[in-house]
Order: sequence, then C-alpha cells, then structure tokens
Amino acid sequence: MAAPTIPLHEKDALVNPYAPEPTVTSSYFNPVSPFFNAYDRFARWRADLGLPQPGTVENLQKEVKGTHLSNYIFDGARADLTKSLSMSPLFQVTHSFALGSQTLPASYNFGAIFANSSVFLQGSVDHEGSMNARFNNGWNANNVTKAQAQLSSNIDQSMIQLEHDYQGSDFSANIKAINPSPRDLTGIYVGSYLQSLTKNLAVGVETLYQRPTPNQGETSTSYLAKLTGSERNWTATAQLQPSGVLTATYWQKLSEKVEVAADVQVLAAPQRRDAIATLGAKYDFRVATFRAQVDSTGKVSALLEQRFVPAFAFLVAGEIDHFKNSAKVGVGVMIESSSLTPEEMGMMPPP
Amino acid sequence: MPSEDTKERISKVIEIGRTVLHYGYIPLIIYIGYTRSNPQPSLIKLISPLA
Repeated sequence: MAAPTIPLHEKDALVNPYAPEPTVTSSYFNPVSPFFNAYDRFARWRADLGLPQPGTVENLQKEVKGTHLSNYIFDGARADLTKSLSMSPLFQVTHSFALGSQTLPASYNFGAIFANSSVFLQGSVDHEGSMNARFNNGWNANNVTKAQAQLSSNIDQSMIQLEHDYQGSDFSANIKAINPSPRDLTGIYVGSYLQSLTKNLAVGVETLYQRPTPNQGETSTSYLAKLTGSERNWTATAQLQPSGVLTATYWQKLSEKVEVAADVQVLAAPQRRDAIATLGAKYDFRVATFRAQVDSTGKVSALLEQRFVPAFAFLVAGEIDHFKNSAKVGVGVMIESSSLTPEEMGMMPPP
Repeated sequence: MPSEDTKERISKVIEIGRTVLHYGYIPLIIYIGYTRSNPQPSLIKLISPLA
C-alpha cells in the first residue's frame, strides 16, 4: 500500500491540460496579456463553433437574381461579339450592338476586360461617349477593394463608388462610399455586416448614411436574415428596410438542372400599401438555358439561350403583360471568337 | 475646415481626375491586356469586330 506516490499538487500539474501555461518570457505586453489571453480564448471558442462563411450582403439574393430572368431579359435585336485574346491572364474585348428596342435607343457599346488572379479591370464605352469603369483588387484572400465609376459628359449622371470588403471566417463586413466629395464630405456612405449565428442562420445589418449637403445628414438601418439549408441546396432571405419595404426570397435547387426561386416584395408605408410576388424557374440543359417567370403584375416572360456550338449562342426573349395588354419580343446572337486554338493557349503565336 | 482656396484646388484636381479616368481607363485596360497577354495578339484583331 505504501507505493511511492507523487505529491498531489505536482501530479495535477502533470495531467491537467487546463493548467495555465507558465509565462516565462518577459515582454512589454505582460501588463496587458490578460486581455490578450481572454481574446485568444474567445477566438478559439469561436473557431470551435465551426460557423460557415455567410457570404456578403451584396450577394444575399444572388441565387434568386441568377434564377429570375429580370436581369437578363431584353427586347429588340442585339448582337454581342466577344473576342478572347488571352486566357491567362484573361483579356477580352466585346462589341455589343442593340437596336429596335421599345424603351432604349439603338446603341453600340465597346467593352474591355482584363483579369488575373488578384486584379480585375473592366471598362465599357458607348457611342455617346459615356463610360463605365470597374476595378477590383484582391489584397489577400479576405480583403477586396472595389471601385466603380460611371462617367458621361453630363456631370449630373456621373457616379463613383468606392468599396472595401472584408470576409472573416464566420462574418463579412463591407464599407462603401458613393460619390464621396473630399471637399465637404458629402455623399452616401453604407456600412454592412453579416454574421453567421448557427450553421444555417446568418443575420446582418446595413446602415446607410446620406449627406447631400454639408449641414444635413440622415441615417437609416435595414436588417437582414439568411437561412440556408444544411446541404446548401436552398436559401431563404429576408430584408427589412426602415421605409417599410420587406423583401423575402426563397431559392431552391431541385436537381442538377432545375432551380426555382420566389421573391415577395411588400411595401407597407402609411400612404401606400403594395406587394409584388415573382416566381421563376431556370433549366440548365447541355446546350441551352431556359428561364421562365411569372409575377403578380400580370407579366409572363421567358428567355431561351441556345448554344449551337460553344462559340455561338442564340437568344430569344419574350414577355407578355396581361394586365396592360402589351408584349415584348427580343432576339439576339452572342458570338465568341477566340484568336487562339485550344493548343495555342499556352504557346507562342505563329509567326 | 479647409479654406476656400484649398477647396478650389481640390475641385480642380477632381475635375482633372475625372477627365483622365473618362478618356484614359479603356486605353489603359487595352494597353495592360495587350502587353500582358500570352500570346500577344495583333493590333488589328484587338480593335476590329470582324477580324
């Protein structure tokens, strides 16, 4: 019975994994190290939760917008000629022609895109000389700075927007300045933050600060929530704006080829009450993409994008407004020519 | 608060910057793309929609 035993307190120190690590290094940080330790413990505890990245506030409704055809529909005739001049880095120029639209005048647009792993440059100019510019720079995996400008000879239509995105492991934050003037700091400033609370739920806020003149400022905050299925095959989002606009969306991937999305927008201001619901579906076939959509304002629309060969696509779009008894039809071609053959992509050009 | 003189100068710099961006951005993209592309394309292919 008289086995040699280690004194109790020493044994504890050997086996106890929670014993504080002895601080041996003397540093200038010693007086504040309790705070650092607390922060480390908090960070470790947060990492243990294993919360997913919630995506950005800007992309909250990305899946729905990609399924609905509102962003893709056109009327009249259009042709897009895209020329890829290099694959890595990506460099392509686009000539777009559009005419015969009921709402827009005929136009010609020239665009250029250059992109490598960290920088994205895009510019386009139309026949009237107005210019659109976009610049993204990724500093590292978490930080992206974006700039966007719309410039035309008419100064009132010009716009510039500067933006910075930070994506943490379980949150994303974004600050944005629209038309900031260094002269008197007028402009529109937006800050947004989205945080995962559980594996499926993320909530966020977006604050908009408007300062049209130096002695006038106004803040408004909207609230966001995003619910994602455990298998990432459905998302539901809601956004409440202080003016009384509630937007709710639902997106589901039914199979590899079929996606459906619904969108309800409710305006419940004291003077006006209104609601619009949109339901859409997208089918991805091997050589074609078909989108169909119906909404509560009586519009039924469809868009077919048929790719006959990889470099040539044919588009047909149609919309019927049953309440106004009007219709729109659009046809378009997209031609992609590359000066490179597949074998040439990584080789020197022929002499 | 900056003085009127400084404000005047800032406005002028913004005006010049806007003009440079308006007319220089697309040529800049084309120049960067043209010099960094692999393989380097010919100029006629770059500009003409049909070539």
